[in-house]
Amino acid sequence: MSISCFELTKVYDGGKAGWPALRGLSFEIKMGEFVAVTGPSGCGKSTLLNIIGLLDEPTGGRYALNGRDVLTLSDRERSDTRRDEIGFIFQSFHLLNRLSSVENVGLPLMYAGADGAERKERAVALLRKVGLHGKEKKIPLELSGGERQRVAIARALANSPKLILADEPTGNLDSASSKEIMQLLVDLNAEGITVIMVTHDKELAARAGRNIRMRDGRIEQ
Amino acid sequence: MRALFNAVKTGFTEIWAHKTRSVLSFLAIAAGSVVFIDAFSAIFATYERIEKQKEVSGMARLKISQNYSQTYSSPDDYVPPPVITYEDVLRLREKLPGFYMVSPEGRDWRNVLEYGEHRVTTSVMGVTPEWTKRDFIYKLRGRFLDWHDVENKLRVCVLVKKAAPPPGNSFNKSMMKKYNFTGGFDTLVAHNDLLGKTVSIDGFTFTVIGILEELPYSRRPETMTGYSQEYKVLAPVTTLIHYNFIGSYQTLDVSIDTGSEQNFEESLRKINNFLKIRFGDGDFFIVENQLELIRERIAASMKSALVTISLGMLAFLAGGIGIMNVTLATVFARTREIGVRRAIGASRRDIMLQFIVEAVMLGLIGGVLGSALGYLWGVPVKVMLGMGGSPIKAWMPLVSVLIAAFTAFVFAIYPAWVAAGLKPADALRAE
Repeated sequence: MSISCFELTKVYDGGKAGWPALRGLSFEIKMGEFVAVTGPSGCGKSTLLNIIGLLDEPTGGRYALNGRDVLTLSDRERSDTRRDEIGFIFQSFHLLNRLSSVENVGLPLMYAGADGAERKERAVALLRKVGLHGKEKKIPLELSGGERQRVAIARALANSPKLILADEPTGNLDSASSKEIMQLLVDLNAEGITVIMVTHDKELAARAGRNIRMRDGRIEQ
Repeated sequence: MRALFNAVKTGFTEIWAHKTRSVLSFLAIAAGSVVFIDAFSAIFATYERIEKQKEVSGMARLKISQNYSQTYSSPDDYVPPPVITYEDVLRLREKLPGFYMVSPEGRDWRNVLEYGEHRVTTSVMGVTPEWTKRDFIYKLRGRFLDWHDVENKLRVCVLVKKAAPPPGNSFNKSMMKKYNFTGGFDTLVAHNDLLGKTVSIDGFTFTVIGILEELPYSRRPETMTGYSQEYKVLAPVTTLIHYNFIGSYQTLDVSIDTGSEQNFEESLRKINNFLKIRFGDGDFFIVENQLELIRERIAASMKSALVTISLGMLAFLAGGIGIMNVTLATVFARTREIGVRRAIGASRRDIMLQFIVEAVMLGLIGGVLGSALGYLWGVPVKVMLGMGGSPIKAWMPLVSVLIAAFTAFVFAIYPAWVAAGLKPADALRAE
């Protein structure tokens, strides 16, 4: 899974001038890397992650995922790419509160067309992998923050993605849970999954193989 | 197919999770359904009635009667107008053999009918067997007058037996009691079986050969020619002329069914021709075109039916807007969820499908609920209120449910489109 960006810009609408979040970013990330993106609030880290994850479109520049120009894809193709090749982990977990752990993990499989039994089997296996054996029936409100983030990680892994995008994955967790989550990400990276993580935490960033520091919409060299 | 199944499952979860909201949407669409079923059955009843009326009355009807509005410049100019006699009717029949019905009608009023000790006022009408071809809305006991009776001027008669008054509320009933002028004759016929008996009418003895029983109100199609049926006793027209019930100065009305709407104008011309040749240029008779009248009545019925159905449509519109409102609210309440689903791989189509399916399910359930309520309203409640039950056919709730679902579908398109149009990144940021 390689990512190459060239002169990415992003201007948010609002007011006459608009607000530039990204001001021309160029970088490459190779397959199997563990990249931490750091920088102060408002420097465009999340915007960058959204663009890499095809949740948002840049205003200008080029972006190729695995050598394929993904900015010209249709909505369907972008959705399928998100589903099959990318796993998201968010700061506030973004689990659906009405669904149990198993059902949350099974959602990406549902959009991939898997039937109920298949979804359940795979979801149970993934929950076991992230250390949540026995909590399959619990809904998010019955789980601790660290456990919720594990469910989210299991969900991100549902369709065996090659790229994981984590936006402040430990931002809402205590330090013990943070360490466990970080360890999970490191383990996943060891399995060959490319991980891009946005974080404030310098300690966590230090564990990543490579750091990209951002300031005011640009990469600090 | 699997996507649809999943959307249905999600829909159920959502509907179940928001019970109050869902029940309110059900009610909105159910109200539409109730009104619509009521409208449907009203229209269906109207349609059936019209068809039955057409069958009974015929369409190509006209009637010849005396023109009473002739003016004379001075009383000295007055000459008694010519009259249509029975022979004229026979001649007309001979000239126009293609007509379905040529029925002479001679009336007399305030006749005295005696039977044993009973002595009641009645009114007699002279007819021929032709009369039964149209507007015959009775059940016959015994036999009707035949051509043998007419040719031999036999003193035989058929009595009309009134049906019980329509089932109505107490107000109706008290009014009936107060304003029932028909008096003794109806009571006499209702309480005595006069079939085969001899009665005396204005001093002449007649044998009762048949009883015409009026159908009960619910099964009686109204005739569209608009004449009140004021006759109580029917006898051969020739007999009544012979015994001077109908004077030689009295004209016979002729009720005609030309048999087809297509040649109606031509038939009208033929009849006018006949009258002109027979009676000269004076406007002694009126040929009343009842086809137009019947058509107007049908059009009026149809118009009122359209008003009813548009009310039903409006009710559905209101229900549909309710569903749109609920779906829009749902979209805004679940914006973050939409973002999550998009992030993990749902396409615009998946999101759209999810909200449309949910709305259609609201519509379907509401439609089923409304159909049940519509049936309850249309049959037991209306009967209890003395309004007479609606004729509800099996297809009416079915169509109503389909329309409810379709309405929900149409009104969910916009909210679903809004939901699908949300940018994943923006949706995820929503609170």
